[in-house]
Amino acid sequence: MDSGGREVTVRRQKIKKNRVKVRLIIFLILAAALLAAAVWAEALCPYDPYAQDMSAALQPPGPAHLLGTDRYGRDMLSRVLIGARSSIFSALLLAGITGMLGTAAGVACGYFGGAADMVIMRISDICLAFPSLVFAMGIAAVLNGGMKGAVIALAAVGWPKYARLARSQTLTVKNSDYIAAARLSGSSALQIIFLHILPNTGGPILVTAALDIGTMMMELAGLSFLGLGAQPPAAEWGSMMSGGRSMLQTSPWVVLSPGLAIFVSVALFNLLGDAFRDWMDPKGPGGHG
Amino acid sequence: MRKKTGILLLALCCLTAALSGCGGQKENEGQNGAEETAVKEFVMGDTTFNAENGEADINPHHDSGGWPCIRYGVGETLFRFSDEMELEPWLAESYETVDELTWVITLRDDVYFTSGRHMDGEAVKECLEHLTENHVRAAGNLSMGEITAEGQQVTIRTETPVPALMNYLADPYGCIIDMEAGVTEDGIVTGTGPYQAVALETDTRLELVKNPEYWNGEPKIDKITVRTISDGDTLTMALQGGEIDAAYGMPYASYPLFENEDYTFSSCATSRVFFGAMNFESPVTSDPAVRQAIAMGIDKESFVKTLLDGNGYPAVGVFPDSFTFGGSAVSTETYDPEGAKQLLEEAGWTDTDGDGIREKDGQPLTLRWLTYPSRQELPLLAEAAQATLGEIGFDVSIQNTADHNTIRTDSGAWDIYVSAFVTAPTGDPEYFFAYCCLDGSYQNVGHYHSDRLEELAGQLAAEFDPARRGELAVEMQQTVLDDNAYVFCSHLRMSMIARAGVTGLTAHPCDYYEITVDLDIQ
Repeated sequence: MDSGGREVTVRRQKIKKNRVKVRLIIFLILAAALLAAAVWAEALCPYDPYAQDMSAALQPPGPAHLLGTDRYGRDMLSRVLIGARSSIFSALLLAGITGMLGTAAGVACGYFGGAADMVIMRISDICLAFPSLVFAMGIAAVLNGGMKGAVIALAAVGWPKYARLARSQTLTVKNSDYIAAARLSGSSALQIIFLHILPNTGGPILVTAALDIGTMMMELAGLSFLGLGAQPPAAEWGSMMSGGRSMLQTSPWVVLSPGLAIFVSVALFNLLGDAFRDWMDPKGPGGHG
Repeated sequence: MRKKTGILLLALCCLTAALSGCGGQKENEGQNGAEETAVKEFVMGDTTFNAENGEADINPHHDSGGWPCIRYGVGETLFRFSDEMELEPWLAESYETVDELTWVITLRDDVYFTSGRHMDGEAVKECLEHLTENHVRAAGNLSMGEITAEGQQVTIRTETPVPALMNYLADPYGCIIDMEAGVTEDGIVTGTGPYQAVALETDTRLELVKNPEYWNGEPKIDKITVRTISDGDTLTMALQGGEIDAAYGMPYASYPLFENEDYTFSSCATSRVFFGAMNFESPVTSDPAVRQAIAMGIDKESFVKTLLDGNGYPAVGVFPDSFTFGGSAVSTETYDPEGAKQLLEEAGWTDTDGDGIREKDGQPLTLRWLTYPSRQELPLLAEAAQATLGEIGFDVSIQNTADHNTIRTDSGAWDIYVSAFVTAPTGDPEYFFAYCCLDGSYQNVGHYHSDRLEELAGQLAAEFDPARRGELAVEMQQTVLDDNAYVFCSHLRMSMIARAGVTGLTAHPCDYYEITVDLDIQ
């Protein structure tokens, strides 16, 4: 009876594990499709996204223009597709930069400690003391806007989260026996960090980064909406929404197309992040590791 | 069971509290409603009443403070413009010229400031003296020498002949205010208009109450609030939601929402022009071929038809068709992208690296386009021109900022400054040239200079014959256009939108008079 009950539990866990895996694979495929659409956007665009044709301004969605046209007569579908490139890749780049910078700072602080640890952590405290978007707006404004300025601004406010996480993870594993053994066998600090600490602390950081992509995308679009990110005529979802907001009531497709694109991509990357977290969680149904 | 009863009781209490709250509110609303019938209130939303436009307050002697002063019925000028832009007496009864330098103005005897002071010659003298001491543009225009006052007569002696003196006195800066009452810290002045300002918060609101002693009839509204709503979409929703009764500066994209029986439009053609001033200090726009190519590379017709939704007229020169010296009296480049490409090619601007942007001696053909958002059509013009000029080989970088007034004074920071400007607010052509194009012009931030224009401006300044003044205006415009120092894109059709029931709010060609004694609301 006991062994039978255990068998049922194991089978249930396996089914749950498989479900998580399937979810992860589905979202990975969808995200890959989105990325592919962004990479080959130019080939997929039915029209030049920057070509103005005033005679076709504000056409509602129809066979000629599937998502309609904006006030300059530019095809919305082409602009949304091209916009995917700047919106998605900037968010990925941003998550990568902040993740790496923050992790490097956190691991260094956790492993070496001392005055540098104190200084870096106090700086991160200062960064965390401000509402992140307001702080990013300030930095982007000083950098005179532009997509580059927006990415730098969000990176500047995003790194402390990773630094704190990496630091606490490093402090946990730093005194483990295998680290002591590596140290005794003559490994250098860099070797220990790259070969032993990072592989054992990377999971939660990767999960955080995956969950962060959607947030980054929203924040980038937010800065562009406020005029502090992409500048006209750049096709970027946030700035496209900002440019069309006066037509929300008269020509809603101008705002809804980029809005829907933001919604779908952010939702997709958030779900992917969730699935990834479940799959990585050793105690959860995914049971990876 | 006891727990469930407890929860039920709590829910009932919450519901009762919520309902009683609603009831209370209704009662208040009822009380307010009763007050509303007693006090007639009117709320106006305006996108341009802000410090960015030089309208930080309503002091006519400070920056562009005269505009809100006259628009919102606080101040009045000695003379005003009729609907046909002809000069007519307002606070003055008449004027006569003694010689080229001496003017005698006779004032109305029945006008009082809201402070209670009688508007006599002495009051006008004090006001005009304070104006010329404190307002650079007015001092330049009026060239005031000595002013003497006797009873209801004011004699002005100018230092140089100023043929358009009476027109200049009808400019918003010429609002007659009581200098004994002075200017408050907030920038509130005491005028003679149908309404009296009682509170002002820069970039937020202006509160007005009626002037029961007004000399020209009884104002019909008791209390007026002018709200600064710089964002067009917010203005749209404010009018739709009934937060405001009328709006100035509505985005054209929102017009279809109000084209029904619930709202009324008052529109008229104005001399407000959207135009670009070239920077003659810039290595790019100091090249005549580049300036000509810019003039040939802007599609004015499409801008007016599509982006202004037909609420304007493609411009040729400084003044619109309604002026004898405006419209087709002058000629300029027309939209010709192929011609512009050829012109640039011949001038040595070629695309050597195949990136679509032309270069010359290592200098890329980058055009820094400085503009500002509070006139909502300006960013649209910038983006439209960015595309058409881009086809010719320009790399147009747009700087659309509320900080344009600071940036434009740095001639190293921009190549073309695109703004909106009322070119003939006084009905006379001299104003635009004196203000924008001459060596000593306050607004000549691009440092344009033409010997010929300076010479013609000298002649215009001394010319009293209106017909000859018109001829000189044509010649001066043509000089400016031949140099492509400015490119005039479109003249604006201005509209005010009010909810049905608002009467007496009428658009005027000079864009000065909005809130008048005729304003009423049902």
